[in-house]
Amino acid sequence: MELNKSIVKGWQVIEVKGQVDSKTVGNLRDYLDQNIIGDLPIALDLTEVPFMSSAGLRTLLTLNRKTQDMNIKLCLVGVIEEISETMNVTGFLQYFTMHHNIADLSEESKEND
Amino acid sequence: MIERIDQRATESINGYQIRQGKHLPFGASLIQNGINFSIYSSSGTSCTLVLFSIGKDLPLVEILIPESYKIGDVYSIIVFDINSEDLEYGYRIDGPHNPAQGHRFNKSEILMDPYARLISGRDEWGRNPNWERAYPYRARVPFDDFDWQNDRPLEINPADLVIYELHVRGFTKSNSSGVGHPGTYAGLVEKIPYLKELGINAVELMPIFEFDEFENSRINPETNEQLLNYWGYSTLGFFAPKAAFASTGKFGMQVDEFKQLVKSLHAAGIEVILDVVFNHTAEGNENGPTLSFKGLDNKTYYMLTPDGYYFNFSGTGNTLNCNNPIVRSLVLDCLRYWAAEYHIDGFRFDLASILGRDPWGTPLSNPPLLETLAYDPILSSCKLIAEAWDAGGLYQVGTFPAFGRWGEWNGKYRDCSRKFLKGDSGQIGEIAQRLQGSPDIYKQTGRSPATSINFITCHDGFTLADLVSFNQKHNEANGENNNDGNNDNLSWNCGAEGWSDDSNIKELRQKQMMNAMALLLTSRGIPMILMGDEVGRSQHGNNNAYCLDSPISWLDWKLIDSNRNLFNFTKALIHFRLEHPTLRVNSYESSNTNIINMPSCSFHGTSPWKPNWDENSRQLAWMMTSETGTNNNEVDIVYVAANMAHYASWYELPQISSSFQWMLKFNTGDINCQYHPLGISLTENGILVGERSIVIFMASKIILESTV
Repeated sequence: MELNKSIVKGWQVIEVKGQVDSKTVGNLRDYLDQNIIGDLPIALDLTEVPFMSSAGLRTLLTLNRKTQDMNIKLCLVGVIEEISETMNVTGFLQYFTMHHNIADLSEESKEND
Repeated sequence: MIERIDQRATESINGYQIRQGKHLPFGASLIQNGINFSIYSSSGTSCTLVLFSIGKDLPLVEILIPESYKIGDVYSIIVFDINSEDLEYGYRIDGPHNPAQGHRFNKSEILMDPYARLISGRDEWGRNPNWERAYPYRARVPFDDFDWQNDRPLEINPADLVIYELHVRGFTKSNSSGVGHPGTYAGLVEKIPYLKELGINAVELMPIFEFDEFENSRINPETNEQLLNYWGYSTLGFFAPKAAFASTGKFGMQVDEFKQLVKSLHAAGIEVILDVVFNHTAEGNENGPTLSFKGLDNKTYYMLTPDGYYFNFSGTGNTLNCNNPIVRSLVLDCLRYWAAEYHIDGFRFDLASILGRDPWGTPLSNPPLLETLAYDPILSSCKLIAEAWDAGGLYQVGTFPAFGRWGEWNGKYRDCSRKFLKGDSGQIGEIAQRLQGSPDIYKQTGRSPATSINFITCHDGFTLADLVSFNQKHNEANGENNNDGNNDNLSWNCGAEGWSDDSNIKELRQKQMMNAMALLLTSRGIPMILMGDEVGRSQHGNNNAYCLDSPISWLDWKLIDSNRNLFNFTKALIHFRLEHPTLRVNSYESSNTNIINMPSCSFHGTSPWKPNWDENSRQLAWMMTSETGTNNNEVDIVYVAANMAHYASWYELPQISSSFQWMLKFNTGDINCQYHPLGISLTENGILVGERSIVIFMASKIILESTV
């Protein structure tokens, strides 16, 4: 799994590459814990994630709860159809704002939050 | 947070960190940094935990559970630092192999945990399995942290239920369903708007506990069609949802998908009742496979003859020993689990009479299992419904040990209504009992109309369309030379066997289907409708389609358009029932005291208050009245006239208070319009009820112009 972070339009974009499952989910969780800044919205770019297991989806939901507690926005970007369908039928999708790509993100500023 | 002090290994075996586990709960449970395993075997002499990486043929490791880890007859171990999502597990139990004494231990077999909550091996429906694979059905450990938000069981008053019996796969498998995930839990979610429109408020799902669709699979030599265990009345795992009914089964996410189905149905006001099969398992008799119970503690789990063979009260090879305390606990744990963890609203018990037999098969007067379930605190708001008979000849409709809690599939309602509808003589007296909730069989023991699950058709037997189209079963497609299935269908083909283009026959069949719905939905008790009967689904005369995973068994959604009249009629009737509390009164005693002085249910003939109880009578009317409103200051009256004779007759309606008028709502004999949404006021003293027809009136309060 490869993880990168950048700032785009006022969002902290976390780019994830590779499968998110029980073997890799610990890396993702640790990375998020260490790299999330408390005052910028988060976009999790999953464009290059071909598969997400049950453990992976749960990590997303945990992140969702955490960002709610932090009072910052979270959105998922570029989720492939198979994963979004899995999220839909298992009830995970309802908790997330989804965007097709990074270009769809709205301009965010600290003031807006 | 203070760290637990028991989350550290005490020893290492084969490179795995372990310690003695928690003996309760049974099964495999996720803990902070490992998995707790607990398994029961009373006569086994040793127990080995076998762990697999998911999908691998050979075990990752085998860990002999130290004897010191055992308390009583329960082995328990914690294995630390293992990845639950990538894990399958089973057990080897050593012990005597002496079938004559009931023991069938064989440590060469890997056994599935009877408490497995997730099972792999049949993840995608109909995908040919690897028959050579050792340990074909494998226990896994699910996440159990589904976010239910505010969902809880709906606890709808039983008397207000309208149940719809459906097969999860068959409901949406047809391309005509148009859903994104045909044949799955998710597909069913997509069709919730249809169920809402129809008006039902409970679905009864045919078995969704994990089973193997390939059990006894075969090719029909005449048609070359693959025959499968489509219905699934053969449980592999009592705690695990059927993976292949989930679109996400291939990812092992059936638990979440099924929970999402329950949550979605609840959000739509629809309860979920599971058809559960505790009378037998998929292990068959002495010639069947050893999958779990046989190798864990054969003598405990199964009813055995004195020489160690299997009693067969289920008709499927073995009989679960439900009144053994160990098995009783398993059944209780199972139902509690589904009620608490899946928010299930009720259970229908297949061949429930078996649950009341002692270990040697004798019916018990106070079966401990049935009593335990009736008084269990977790199950206290769950509907408990018995199929009150078994394949061993025990028939307990009306006498099932109910402990004030159990409802029953009322087979007598089914039989009598079928005979009445086809115009058999001698049915008037009995049908009068059936449509008021069968007081003849339930009142004496203090039970109520909602004890009776009224049905005319169910998965077992003809569909409604076939009931009016076939005199004989036509089960050739099952590959058993038409020898399977019930021969006594109490059906009438209306003049021709099977499909006909005779318009008179087609019209009569349509009318008979509407008559059936009218009878069912104006009877007190809980009505149950079979999937697709509202649109005339046919199985081409097959009354036992247990092995047909094909369009014969699936709901063809195009029928909604081709049988629009029947659909609209049924829909209107269901809504009519829900709008009229008098049809749902849950007492045999009349409680009308304030503003009306009429019995709660009265019977009439072509003349009011004069029912004709003669042997040759085929005409009966009934009037149901009840006081409603918060202060019982309103009145609800429904009058139904059924004419099952082959000639029309004039029915004079009972006189009611001058402030009410009779409004005609339904008339199955009116070929042009069977349902009147606004009602038609009765201008004469009665109505001509056509041959083989039913009319339904409601009493509507007259609104005086001055008050408008």
